[in-house]
Order: sequence, then structure tokens, then C-alpha cells
Amino acid sequence: MMDKNAIIESGMLERYLLGELSHAESLQLEAILQEDAELRSLYEEMESDFEKMARENAIQPPAKVKQQLMEKVIGDTTPVIPLNENRANKQYLAIAASFALLFGVTAIWLYTQLNKTQESIELVRTQNSELKNELELVMENYDDIVGWYETINDPNAVQFILKGNDKSPNAKAISYVNHANKTVVLNAKELPTLDADHDYQLWADVAGEMIDMGVIPKNTPMIAMKYIDKAESFNITIEPAGGNDHPTVERLISNVYLE
Amino acid sequence: MPNEHHLLTQIKNGDTQALSILYDNYSGALYGVILRMCKNEAVAQDLLQETFVKIWQKANSFDPEKGKFYTWAYRIARNLTLNELRNPSPLIQTEDLSVYKERATTEEQSIDKLKLNGSIQKLDSHHRKALELVYFQGLTHREAHTEMNVPLGTFKSYIQQALKKLRESYQLLLFSGWLLIEQML
Repeated sequence: MMDKNAIIESGMLERYLLGELSHAESLQLEAILQEDAELRSLYEEMESDFEKMARENAIQPPAKVKQQLMEKVIGDTTPVIPLNENRANKQYLAIAASFALLFGVTAIWLYTQLNKTQESIELVRTQNSELKNELELVMENYDDIVGWYETINDPNAVQFILKGNDKSPNAKAISYVNHANKTVVLNAKELPTLDADHDYQLWADVAGEMIDMGVIPKNTPMIAMKYIDKAESFNITIEPAGGNDHPTVERLISNVYLE
Repeated sequence: MPNEHHLLTQIKNGDTQALSILYDNYSGALYGVILRMCKNEAVAQDLLQETFVKIWQKANSFDPEKGKFYTWAYRIARNLTLNELRNPSPLIQTEDLSVYKERATTEEQSIDKLKLNGSIQKLDSHHRKALELVYFQGLTHREAHTEMNVPLGTFKSYIQQALKKLRESYQLLLFSGWLLIEQML
């Protein structure tokens, strides 16, 4: 270690400041300055004195110098940045990478969410159209029911109940006869189910003659039948599928007198 | 300047705006040095630009622990200028190549401009000359003592005495400035 006074007297500080020292000498002096606060403050004073002197002797350069400089460094910006391999840049790089990752993850998450939402929308659409179909059916049924209700609730409608005889003791049908507007409606819901080869058929007895009122369709709760003038009774027979021209009297299961 | 350290950090990260601020603050002082050393405005302007390009590129190697930014920048400017004077670059265009041969003679047109100002002007002539040679001419102590025709030891003491006087003068300036402010309040 060199003696402090020797350093001061040798003019080493001035020569260091001016850049006259060799690399080895500079390193040696830098190490000493690091250790010696007094020498260090002496050097700092010298630095500010030289700077003040330089400022007192400043000469303003023409503006074009700065302009050219800025054009040059701005042109250089792209290659210069990657050369600056310092920690700050790495930090920026790390921050940028984190953001990129975050954006990536967010994008994937959003994409998944979008797919889920689209699936949900599709499901809701399907359900909606199913509900719409059901509603249409319900509305049709409602219209039918309202129609039947009005028919049987008419003050002119008279109800006759056809009960099954020994051949079909569980059978039961209800007829509504309206002589004012000449309609007959039958509720055949409680007639026992027949096989595919047979149908129930309704007949009107007019002065001893059986007149066809129509085949009773399967699986139909309410059905309008033909109105026959001067009918004395209603009769239900079992006939081959599609109905018969004349009733099969042996297979009469129910009758009722209109009185 | 208080933001100098911050500006250097920004420059390290490629911030050209920071370089612009630094240029505004230091270009005058550095141009004063460079122009007095090479005595040619066109060359001095190119060297000034080159100095700041180097500051821009080498900002990483500036260590605030080792001294002030201006000292570091001065050394860059001085080295570039001395190199240019020793080996004129063909890229730096000079209309009059004779400036290199007649380095000691100043161009008539810029005599006024190159005249030293401020506290150094008030120093004894041998002190002023010694400082001028090492600081504004870029001579080493060895070159300068030969130039002044005095022993090296004597030259060193010239420099140290000159610096001492300079310091006193700046302290006096500071003190009178303070006194002036006191009076005004």
C-alpha cells in the first residue's frame, strides 16, 4: 500500500483524473481510494474543480451535432439494447416474459370459457326449442279441451252413460247429445283396449233399425260421432277393424236408451 | 446534476431521451475541451458526436463508485481526440489537413473562442499554462514539463498549486454567492 502523502505529492490523483495512468496503476489507485475516505474526498474535490473549470470554458456546439447524434443512436437502438447484458435488462426481459406468459394463460383460459359458453348456449337453444314444441302441444291440447268443455257444458247437451254388459263388465263410455245443434260427442276412455283386428262401433236404433254412427278410434279420449235423428238408443258393438255395415249383435257390449 | 445516475441507468436500458438530457448538460463543457485540443471545428464536432456515441455504447462500464460522470466523459473525449490527432481518421473530414501539422498554432478566427475564461484566467501565468497543457491540450505531465521547460517535480507542484488556487477561487465564489443571497433575503 502506498503512503497517502506520497500519493498526493506524486500527482497521481491528477494524473488518474486526466486519464494518464496505466491500467495497472489505475486499478491500484482505485483500490486505495476505495479504502481511504480522506483521499477519496480530496479526489472528489478535484473532480468538481476540474468540472467547474470546464463549465466556465464551455463552448456551445452547433445544434446539428446533437441532431446527428440522436439520429445515429436512434438508428442504433435495436442492436445496442441486446448488447447491454446487464441485470436491469434481464429484469425487463423477465418482466416481459412474465407478461407474455400471463397473456398466454389468460388467452387459453378465455378460449376455454368461450367454448364452454358456446356449449351452454347450444344447450339452452335445444332446451328452448323443446319447450317451444311442448308448449305447442299443450296449446293444441288446451284448445281441444276447451272445445270439448264447451261442448259438454252446453245447457242443451244431455249426458248418457253406456255401461258394459256381461260380455265386457268393465266397459264404460259417456255420450253427450245436443239436439239443438245436432251433435253427439263420445268419451270412450274407459272402454277396454281391443286387439289390432277389432274396433268398437257406435250404432243408433231408429224404429228397430240399427244405423251406423261411426267407428270409435283407438286411444282418443273424446270423439265427435254422427248425429242421428230420432235415435231411441245408442249401442256399442265389437266389429272387425275399420267397422261393419251391419252390427254384429252377438258382440253387443253396451247400450243406453235416450229418454 | 442530481439525476445523472438515474440518466445513466436509463441509457443502459437504451433510453435515447436520457442521452439527450445528458447531452444538453455536458456537451458545452466537453466541446470546449475537444475544440481547444484539436482546434478545428469540423473535427471537434465529429469528435463530440463520437464521444456521446461512446457514452451511449459504454454506459455499462461507467461505475459511479469510481468518480463523477463528467470525469469519465472527459477521459473518453480526451482519448478520442488524442487518437484522432495521432492518427487522423479518413472518416472525419477536414478541409484543411494542415491543422494537424501546426497543432500548436491556433486558427485566427477562433482565437477569441478558445481563450480561457473564468477562474483559470485569474491564475499566475505559469499555473494557468500548466493546467491548460494537461487539461485543455491533453498533454501528459511528462510532455508538459518538457513543453514548459521545467523539471517534472516543479511541473507537478505547478499543477498542485494551480488546483489549490482554483479551489480557493471557487470557494470564494461560493461564499460571495452565499453572502449575496443572505443580503437579498
